[in-house]
Amino acid sequence: MYRNRLMALLGLLVIASMVLAACAPTPDVTEEPVDTSTPVDTATTEPTAPDPTAEPEVPATTRHGGWLDQVTMTVVTADAAVTQIAAGAIDVYASNLSTPQDIEAADAAGLERSFQFGIYYELTFNPSGEFEGNTFPATGKLNPFASAKVREAMNWLVDRNYINQEVYGGNAVPKFFSFVSGFPEYARYVETIRGLESRYQYDVDRANAQITAEMEAMGATLVDGKWNFGGEPVDVIFLIRTDSDGTRVPIGDYVSNQLESIGFTVTRQYGTSSELSALWVAGNIDDGLWHIYTGAWGVGGITRNDAGDFQFFYSPNSAYAFTTLWQGYTLEEGDLALYDDLANSAFTTLEQRDEMVAQALESTFKYNYRVWLEDGRAFSPWQPNVSVAFDLAAGVDINPLWPHTLRFDDAEGGSLNWGTPDLFVDPANPVGGSNWTYDNQWQLATNDRGVMLNPHTGIGLPQRIERAEVTIAGELPVGKTYDWVDLSFAETIDVPADAWIDWNVETETFITVGEAYPDGLTAVVKSVSYYPENLYDVQWHDGSNLDVADFVMGMIMTFAPGMEGSPIYDESIAGSVEAFKAGFKGFRIVSESPLVVEFYTDAWQSDAELNVTTLWPAYGYGDAAWHVIAVSNYAEANGLLAYTADKAEASEVEWTNYIGGPSLEILKTSLDAVAAEGTIPFSATLGMYITPEEAAARYANLDAFYAQYGHFWVGTGPYILSQVFLVEKQAVLVNNPNYIDLSDKWAGFSAPKIATAEVDGAAIVTVGAEATFDVFVTFEGEAYPADEIASVKYIVYNAAGEIVEVGAAAPVADGQYSVTLSADTTTALGAGSNKLEIAVVAIPVSVPAFTTFEFVTE
Amino acid sequence: MSVESQVQPTAEAAPKRLSPAMQSITRVAKYTIVKLVMLFITVVIGVYLTILIANMGGYVDNIMRGEIRQAVADRLNRDPLYRSMQPDARQAYLLSQVTDEEKRLGLDKPFAVRSIGYLAGALQLDLGRALNMSSDSGSRSVRLIILERLAPTLLLMGFSNMFLFFGSIFLALTLSRNYGSFWDKFTVALSPTSSAPPWFYGIFFILIFAAIFRVMPFGGMIDAPPPTNQWDYAMSVLKHLILPSSAIIISSFFISIYNWRTFFLIYSSEDYVEMAKAKGLSNRDVESRYILRPTLPTIITNFGLLVITLWTGAIITETVFSWPGLGRTAFRAIGLFDTPVIVGLTIIYAYLLAMTVFLLDFIYAVVDPRVKIGE
Repeated sequence: MYRNRLMALLGLLVIASMVLAACAPTPDVTEEPVDTSTPVDTATTEPTAPDPTAEPEVPATTRHGGWLDQVTMTVVTADAAVTQIAAGAIDVYASNLSTPQDIEAADAAGLERSFQFGIYYELTFNPSGEFEGNTFPATGKLNPFASAKVREAMNWLVDRNYINQEVYGGNAVPKFFSFVSGFPEYARYVETIRGLESRYQYDVDRANAQITAEMEAMGATLVDGKWNFGGEPVDVIFLIRTDSDGTRVPIGDYVSNQLESIGFTVTRQYGTSSELSALWVAGNIDDGLWHIYTGAWGVGGITRNDAGDFQFFYSPNSAYAFTTLWQGYTLEEGDLALYDDLANSAFTTLEQRDEMVAQALESTFKYNYRVWLEDGRAFSPWQPNVSVAFDLAAGVDINPLWPHTLRFDDAEGGSLNWGTPDLFVDPANPVGGSNWTYDNQWQLATNDRGVMLNPHTGIGLPQRIERAEVTIAGELPVGKTYDWVDLSFAETIDVPADAWIDWNVETETFITVGEAYPDGLTAVVKSVSYYPENLYDVQWHDGSNLDVADFVMGMIMTFAPGMEGSPIYDESIAGSVEAFKAGFKGFRIVSESPLVVEFYTDAWQSDAELNVTTLWPAYGYGDAAWHVIAVSNYAEANGLLAYTADKAEASEVEWTNYIGGPSLEILKTSLDAVAAEGTIPFSATLGMYITPEEAAARYANLDAFYAQYGHFWVGTGPYILSQVFLVEKQAVLVNNPNYIDLSDKWAGFSAPKIATAEVDGAAIVTVGAEATFDVFVTFEGEAYPADEIASVKYIVYNAAGEIVEVGAAAPVADGQYSVTLSADTTTALGAGSNKLEIAVVAIPVSVPAFTTFEFVTE
Repeated sequence: MSVESQVQPTAEAAPKRLSPAMQSITRVAKYTIVKLVMLFITVVIGVYLTILIANMGGYVDNIMRGEIRQAVADRLNRDPLYRSMQPDARQAYLLSQVTDEEKRLGLDKPFAVRSIGYLAGALQLDLGRALNMSSDSGSRSVRLIILERLAPTLLLMGFSNMFLFFGSIFLALTLSRNYGSFWDKFTVALSPTSSAPPWFYGIFFILIFAAIFRVMPFGGMIDAPPPTNQWDYAMSVLKHLILPSSAIIISSFFISIYNWRTFFLIYSSEDYVEMAKAKGLSNRDVESRYILRPTLPTIITNFGLLVITLWTGAIITETVFSWPGLGRTAFRAIGLFDTPVIVGLTIIYAYLLAMTVFLLDFIYAVVDPRVKIGE
């Protein structure tokens, strides 16, 4: 009896559990902050390079779209990634791995792997009390790091090579500046950098001597081996990050040990980013709650212009100037202006810029508000039978070329499993959706672009456009690398009166330059993008052909959501629209077929390729066709959905999600509504490009797409988002057979062409005699073509590590150069052990190659 | 001798005596009201303490302000347009963005005010919207954030714990009747294996069955690529359930049997059990009528508490197996200081616990006639 009751009760509970479980939404359809911005760049004097897309290294194919039939993205934790690839569970792990153990495991398993620069590490000092008694105003306690000399001495106190070996297994690169050693700026200023690096090599005695002198000058005394001030030990509070990649704990411990070894008492305060940012970002430095913080910074792509680093990291005019920390940075007037000028590109020649950067590099050692430690290098592993292009900064996952190059070796098609740490973190919509790298990676496969960035140099290459013209007003140091851009200079650039420059939310028409600026308007940059004849053969994934209306809609949406009075006004977007308008000087559609667009702006970059603005319908967070935007705009205007998190929160509606959740039903209802009404969005403008029949056909296509795939994410890229499993965290991408390009278009980017340099010469050189050394530059054992080498510099160091001479090696043949040290140079070296360093800068990659050769003079 | 006059009570003067049934109803009603009030007060205190702890008494506001500033500065600094602005304009723009974000997260109001709002909303089961987290389907609704993870959580935790619970009781009953046998000693000997947590076994299981023998998946909930029909999908889910549920079961199996076996052993040696055996009752009848029956309140209590703990998920085990459960949701919410999600999970657990405690008293009375509610 009781057993029956018990079983009945249990049965009820199980049923209740099942009912609760069934309440959860069915996995119907679908599913660290990323830098998707275009890297800024700088002047180049490199010779024009051949188009790397011109000669694919693999046999021709008739296949369109991605190489693979299917890519399944699934969530895999980083610590299981290598094991899972080795066991065949996944084929690629797209995110960054960096521990020495992972490298060892990947190599032991025979996996292929990328290498990329990404995070760089430093020590951030609290300078509170500098010039004001060296004590914290709130506590009156001594702050040793208020002294620039103590901060400078920290360069000698830390052994960067030790950190590299012990923490990073030798995979990092010791650094003394913010410039990343794999990026162009480092190679460009290598002689200045090397000179300063040699000055600040590890020397604990020198550090101790300078710190002792300064501490005594500040009134501290050494009692029983411990620094005291005001009768109390000088306690250094060290904020040590425990999260991220975990390497900042051993770094913090090592630096703490070093400080303790010279008499400081160190309180190690471990914490996560959240916990510690409350102190070093949001806190007041004068409260004396911390002295040092284990800082780290990341890059999302190869940066070609890092001149703004000085302002960013050292100046009270930095983007971080809202913090009391940056407000506490006190620069000499000249340096403040210098850093601002570099950040604002206030120079007219490359030579002038070189001088300014060299001066700024030197000046940072006057302040040492941070001591740079290491350039971290990460990697992504994959199966030996797989190949994929990787970006030297962004790696695999957010490299726009991965969808075009990922494949099984020597095979077309197939199904590949892709591991990633997470998926579907935030809702996906092109206007204000997820900006997470984890979501960006699948979006890249569905998107396309007008210009593709070279993953090895950061320079633009034509993707959808055919060619471009760039005109620069005045004398600015702008150069070009590739032939697809025609670069010219003009005294002034007048913006045509019929160019569109602003949006009228009432009439829903563009305001022309003639209307807004009756007296005329000039711009610094004019770019003209020429699309090919077959542009309109490009199809959206729902079968709609690309149209000029898609481009115009993109420009309308640049303005409309951020303008008060617009039906889709979003306060959180308004600021970015204003920022855009600050440099924007207009655009014009010169020809619809073939499509030719002009773009005018005052924002310029030193690589002509990066000054091209194509107006490709890429929104901030994904591509979109006009009719898809029309649907979500309808929902937005009617208060049913919101593109951004801010507006969704304020309006208490769902954040628009094209791929799942409650948004789908609303979007479907909106689609039915706009289709029934035959809506042509912003009809006063788009009505010029869209007929009612075309609108009806597009809505029907979208409806059919939704019926087939169950979401609204419609791109033009080489893969279609086929299935999304939101709770299970899987995304299935299938090949887009209608993609206009053949699969091998970007096949030439499988491996970065990083040079290897070797030096050969006499080990013993007679003082006062000329000496010649041979330099060999190769790639995978083959001579590096001379026309792909930008420069081969040499630096000669004497026995004291001081730079004696810097010069350019003389070319002899492909891959061979010669360095000749004159009799005067060998005389200047004197007797002793010297070093010859070679720095090779190749055009196809941003990463310079270094090698050293030691020789004795006697 | 005196004659004492006896006063006959009249109908009007006599105190009203309630019938036994009415007395019981009154007693139960009074008990119910007091119990419900006490439980409600407990829930209120518990939830408010959770809010205070999750927010470190309001200090989390400082943490969030720091995070907002850092995140906004990093985001803007990646924008070439922002970088090209003049410092003053840049600062003004940045601060406006920071202010917007602080307003969105409610940081423009004092924590004390917000904490009362969280509590009031929670008590009414108005779970509201998350601050930073999105549900798997992209919604900020706390209800959806929890509901979407409920099915996988109940699947894993329910399957594992139900198996563990009933398997343990069944085997423990048998062992208690075979005290000192080989299997009894075997179980006792293996009971220390439960000192290791489920995730510990999970890692080994993954290593053995996924990495070495490659017969089981490393984790997740379905195969990649996902099966195309529902039957294959269900089979795939079951396959992915095997290792995590095995880890949960193995980690507690022997100690659970050992516990129950020891518990049943006390009842198994009672005189009335021996009497029943002497009467020739079958083992099955002895177990069900003479051992299980008096132990039923304890079993039901354990089961009731077990059912509500299913709700909490298993943080580390879910992480090791990449299982999309509520444990990981709770862990992430704590890491992100997402108070609405933390409060949402807590209030549901608190209500379930209160209901269970409340109902158990009645269930005891049903299964054990000696127990009277309210006495």
